[in-house]
Amino acid sequence: MKRGLRIGDRIILIVAGFFFITPFLAAAEYSLRGYGGKGHTFANYTWIFKQIGFSPALFTSLRIAALSVALLLLLMIPTVVYVQLAGRKWARLVEIMCLLPIVIPVVSLAIGAQVAMPKTLQSTSYELCFFYVIICMPYVYRTLNTGLQAISLPTLVEASSSLGATGLKTLILVIVPAIGSATLGAVFITFAISMGEYALAVLLHFHTLTTWATNASQENLYGSVAISVGSLFSIWILLVIFAYVPVIKSALNKKKETVE
Amino acid sequence: MSHTPVSRAPVHNVGGSVRAFKKFSFLGIDRTFLGIVPFLALIGYFFFYPIAVVFNRSIHDSHNHLSISTYKALFSGDYRAAFIGSFELAAYSMAISAVIGAAICVALVKTNGNTKRVISAIAGVLTSTGGIPLAFSFIASFGQEGLVTKALLNIFHWDIYAGAFDIYNFWGILLVYCFFQAPLMVIIFTPAVENLKVEWQEANETLGGSRLQFIRHITIPVLFPAFLSSCLLLFASGFSAYATAAAMSNGTIPLVPLVIGNLVDGNVIAGEANQGDALAMGMIFVSIIVFAFYAVVLRIARKK
Repeated sequence: MKRGLRIGDRIILIVAGFFFITPFLAAAEYSLRGYGGKGHTFANYTWIFKQIGFSPALFTSLRIAALSVALLLLLMIPTVVYVQLAGRKWARLVEIMCLLPIVIPVVSLAIGAQVAMPKTLQSTSYELCFFYVIICMPYVYRTLNTGLQAISLPTLVEASSSLGATGLKTLILVIVPAIGSATLGAVFITFAISMGEYALAVLLHFHTLTTWATNASQENLYGSVAISVGSLFSIWILLVIFAYVPVIKSALNKKKETVE
Repeated sequence: MSHTPVSRAPVHNVGGSVRAFKKFSFLGIDRTFLGIVPFLALIGYFFFYPIAVVFNRSIHDSHNHLSISTYKALFSGDYRAAFIGSFELAAYSMAISAVIGAAICVALVKTNGNTKRVISAIAGVLTSTGGIPLAFSFIASFGQEGLVTKALLNIFHWDIYAGAFDIYNFWGILLVYCFFQAPLMVIIFTPAVENLKVEWQEANETLGGSRLQFIRHITIPVLFPAFLSSCLLLFASGFSAYATAAAMSNGTIPLVPLVIGNLVDGNVIAGEANQGDALAMGMIFVSIIVFAFYAVVLRIARKK
């Protein structure tokens, strides 16, 4: 429904924008307050980096998020491509399987993980990767599936194999680049969910960024607010950059065309 | 969110390897099944197996005898209160967020690409990473010392703490929930609003219909199934969310996920070892019922 913005629509968007931005601006102000609420400094942000537990927690989170992304792409790209090419009749099964993690509450999965997983796995924080793969699967499946439907997959595969490429070569050199923006979207959503996940991390007793932030709040609420504001804004910046990537890409291509 | 994958004719000539692969069969199952085995293995071991263990524990009592005593306990005392609390929180946040989110959707689809892209990006972050950062942002802005609280008091002379509201109680959590539920509504409801065709509005005008008639006879009937199914998703999301409530209340508010969290953390009363599992199964049952309704609504919508 493309029509000009009516005055009512403008009012809705402005009021909504105001309501949604205010808490974050207020939180940003709070995070900059000085000791005892006097004046404004960056002290709360520097406080974070002085904490002994902070950088291990941050690196644990980053490591788990990166591994989850890798594992998920490694599993889901071949599966979704395979289902679209040769395993059509399993498409419905895969789709339903990928929906279930949205249906089942994460807390229920966490309690199951605690009693069902072997001790060797539970003793390492890498356990979380597998569960992050599960909880991100619905979003990643959807993104990749939409991406693959937008390209003419059979034609590409046929062309590639008639030129002598093996299946793996076709996957890495032809299909993955063709669904570049969908892959990027999948990477982003997995990374964002993994970095912000709390329920599994705390219930399985691992020390990630989010559990560190909640523990720190008992000592210094200003610090916890600062880390929350920091993480929200950094993810937003990443996302806005990401949202503009297609725009930037097409702009660069146009530039290239004009140069050539 | 589109729920209809574009169906394509099966591909037969995708190189010889696929064709040769398809010829084999094992125990009556097509060999093409092998391609999704890694996927099924992972989701089976890390998803279905833990849930099955929870189910199995929930139907045994502390002496390892088959029993439904843990389920009976769900209908009395603190556990019943927790389910009621979770229902209320999910229902209130669903109702408020659905209305706000739908209004934003209607306005948003008329904006140009860049505005829409930025707003949906922000909505995406709020819904997917929400949790902990959102909780602390709200404690900071709506807490006793928060900027919003002070501004409302000084400018509008409205003391939000005069009534029942406290950022650490039910109403505070409800407020925060709306801030990730409304963006979720924007994300899942936008595709439906985008499907409203300009031609319909033009046809309505040509036929002499007013804007009110357009809303009454076209917009509402067309969007209603999508609205209802979005509401169900919001309810499920509000019912099962854990992080925000856990960070804001230290587990003191009666909500099912928080009670489960407390039980898992070792505050187990003797003889109730499997109570957490029954609560978890209770949440799963509620979610399955909600999603069953969701599937029914979608099916009805497609038939229309």
